[in-house]
Amino acid sequence: MADLVRAPAERVARRAAGRGPVREFLTFVLGADVFGVELHRVKEILSPPPITPVPRAPMEVVGVCSVRGLLVTVVDLRVRLKLEVRPDTRRTRILLATATSGEAVGLWVDEVLQVVRLSETDMELTTAGIGTEVSEYVLGVGRPQGEFIVLLDLAALVTG
Amino acid sequence: MADPTERARDEFLSEAQEIVETLSRNLLDLDASVRSGSIDPALVNEAFRAVHTLKGLAGLFGAARLGHLSHRLEDVLDDLRLGRMVLSPEVLDALFAAIDVYGRLLSLEREGRDEPSPAAEELLARLERLGADAPNRSAPVTEYELDPGLLAVLTEYEEHRLRANLEQKMRLYRLRVEFDLTTIDKALEDMKTRAKRHGEIITYLPAGEATSADAIELDLLMASRDDLATLIGALGADNVVIEEIPRRRSSMLNEPARPTHGAMALSGAESVTPSVNAGDGALEQGPSLRSLTQTVRVDIRKLDALMNVVGELAIVRGAIARLADRLRIEGQRQLTAELQRLHRSFERRLAEMQAGILEVRMVPLGQVFDRLARVVRQIGREMSKEIRLVITGSETEIDKLIVEELSDPLMHMIRNAIDHGIEPSARRAEVGKPPAGTIALNAYQKGNHVMIEVEDDGRGIDEQAVLDKAVRLGKLAAEDAHELSREEVLALVFLPGVSTSATVNDLSGRGVGMDIVKTNIARLGGIIDVQSEPGIGTKMTITLPITLAIVSALMVHIADQVFAIPLSTVSEALSLDAGMSRTLDGREVITLRGQTLQLCRLDRVLSLERKKTPMPRKSYVVVVALGNRRLGVVVDHLVGQQDIVIKPLGRSLAAVRGFAGATELGDQRVGLVLDAAAIVDEAFSGSEAVREVGSLHG
Repeated sequence: MADLVRAPAERVARRAAGRGPVREFLTFVLGADVFGVELHRVKEILSPPPITPVPRAPMEVVGVCSVRGLLVTVVDLRVRLKLEVRPDTRRTRILLATATSGEAVGLWVDEVLQVVRLSETDMELTTAGIGTEVSEYVLGVGRPQGEFIVLLDLAALVTG
Repeated sequence: MADPTERARDEFLSEAQEIVETLSRNLLDLDASVRSGSIDPALVNEAFRAVHTLKGLAGLFGAARLGHLSHRLEDVLDDLRLGRMVLSPEVLDALFAAIDVYGRLLSLEREGRDEPSPAAEELLARLERLGADAPNRSAPVTEYELDPGLLAVLTEYEEHRLRANLEQKMRLYRLRVEFDLTTIDKALEDMKTRAKRHGEIITYLPAGEATSADAIELDLLMASRDDLATLIGALGADNVVIEEIPRRRSSMLNEPARPTHGAMALSGAESVTPSVNAGDGALEQGPSLRSLTQTVRVDIRKLDALMNVVGELAIVRGAIARLADRLRIEGQRQLTAELQRLHRSFERRLAEMQAGILEVRMVPLGQVFDRLARVVRQIGREMSKEIRLVITGSETEIDKLIVEELSDPLMHMIRNAIDHGIEPSARRAEVGKPPAGTIALNAYQKGNHVMIEVEDDGRGIDEQAVLDKAVRLGKLAAEDAHELSREEVLALVFLPGVSTSATVNDLSGRGVGMDIVKTNIARLGGIIDVQSEPGIGTKMTITLPITLAIVSALMVHIADQVFAIPLSTVSEALSLDAGMSRTLDGREVITLRGQTLQLCRLDRVLSLERKKTPMPRKSYVVVVALGNRRLGVVVDHLVGQQDIVIKPLGRSLAAVRGFAGATELGDQRVGLVLDAAAIVDEAFSGSEAVREVGSLHG
């Protein structure tokens, strides 16, 4: 009930501030940088279960694992994005998402940080000047309170 | 699940598909009956009803193209069954073409595409050209002592059948049969079947009083060439009275033409009845309101979901077993015994459930063979080759999913057989073969596998042409050509670009085909072998697993990993001591009961790391047998047998060869399932070996 009342009120407040619609991103660490993906596309955050390597698989595929009966292909985003690979820690997590093909894909990340809410003024949805080989996965950059987050297109990542 | 309208639509499409398949079988039977010289009118009538039902369905679901075609076909079939049109080969061709057009229209419908189909338009025009051509005949119906009441209720079709029979100088009989009300459906069918050997039952009507409240008497009007004594001998029983209907004397010939009027009125009414059984008497309508079939149609994905649940229950079962073990170790004897009893009972029920679900997935191969029979007929006509198709084992059952994937590869193989294998009849006569070429399609079960053979009695594969082609395409170094064994040469037909024929024409022989066939079969976990004798014929044998859903597997350790090898591909396992193997032609082999067995070191082939597990001093050989090829897979040690549910690897691993999927091991971990067919193939692959040789030479 409280939520129902609050939601429109918040929207009104936001519009008044001229900030436009807000998008939620889950931020995480890969190598030395902070990245974000749209929260609603992440189905689950997992502590890494035992992973079975698949011989002959592409370099970026860590292996396969089972999440309550669902077979998940685990991809190392650091390899995909050509970033520095650091040893796993107890903070290592897997972001579970579904590709358009229906394949369940787990994205291996170094550490999950938080959810940030970005309005349009906080985001630069352009890939110009960001990069070379990995630009197809990049939505843009976010700058909440002076920070710098590379926003990734999760749909492209899990399908690529 | 999808919303109700979409579901209803799915149901409609699959029902329509089924009707088209029935229609197709029907036409094949009809084709056979035309060739044997006597057209079975029941078959024409059944085809008519099938199309009539399709028309009704299409109307309900607003499938206009489907409805329009069905409407035209219904007209043609109506003309045929009422004798207004002669069943010529052209008409039959048009009807067969309709099956393909139906298939196309259904797939357009399924994709929700509303575009016009040129093939359908073309067929409609073709049907338009088939005019009614048989003269209207006047048959001497009134010459018989028929009850005018009976004649009055004959449908147009029944009246036509009566006339047709009388024209052929058949005698007419009345069979008064008392049926038990509870078994009448079956008993009547039975009677019809038995009567069919002697003639045709034209109609049946309730006859009046019966001896008890549980019985009903029917009058069957039957036309037959046989005399009364023969019929009584064949059909007579306590509840059957047969009498011949005599011809009238000439003075009675002026009977008014009342029957025709009655029939017209009735048939007019019939054409608006949506009932499938429109041609039958009123009696069948009562029971047919209740559903006569006990079957349900199930989406195979639902069965997959159920099978997954069973797989998870199997994991629960494993956990219970481990718990029982722990209790035993802790000395809880009584609890252990109780838990173990429960566990055993659970295990048994689970196995039953698994078997039950598997059984539901099984369908007879006849489903795909029927479609192929149509293809054979069509290609035979296109190529002007007379083909006799002999099918055995169409009742052999296999997983529904496999059946679906089989029709394309089998079609390719049959096209090849007719086009490249079977010689023109003139050539066949020269070499003393019968003018009609024979294609045999055989299926049978062998252990956990289903074997399908496509065999022809044609000219056989020209090995030299195959070799030349392979060399020309650079698949083979010319100097190696003569080193290949016959088997290896024949296996070259599965390379892209090589074909079973040296010439190229419209139908096949462009070299696309056999490599695709092989890939498709491999995707189903099967393999294909070819045998050929020059001048005698060619035989292709496909070996397939019976099901894809669940398999017994041998679990093995190699390096740091557990792998599953489907037990259906394993013929035996033995220990391998150092010094048992030797090298032959660069391949590691052992001798097993006097035969040479090639070994495959999976740790090397798959580049497995040995971080935790050092190379064992003693290892094991799992002998994998597929078709007539055997390979010894070297593993560290054997873990044991386990029933596993194979889950396919995701799209991003589609290019990885050697694995059929993955399975849960029961302790949260996942094990990879080896694709025995791919591994055997890789080990024996002519192209691989040839390429290696080639690179040595180059």
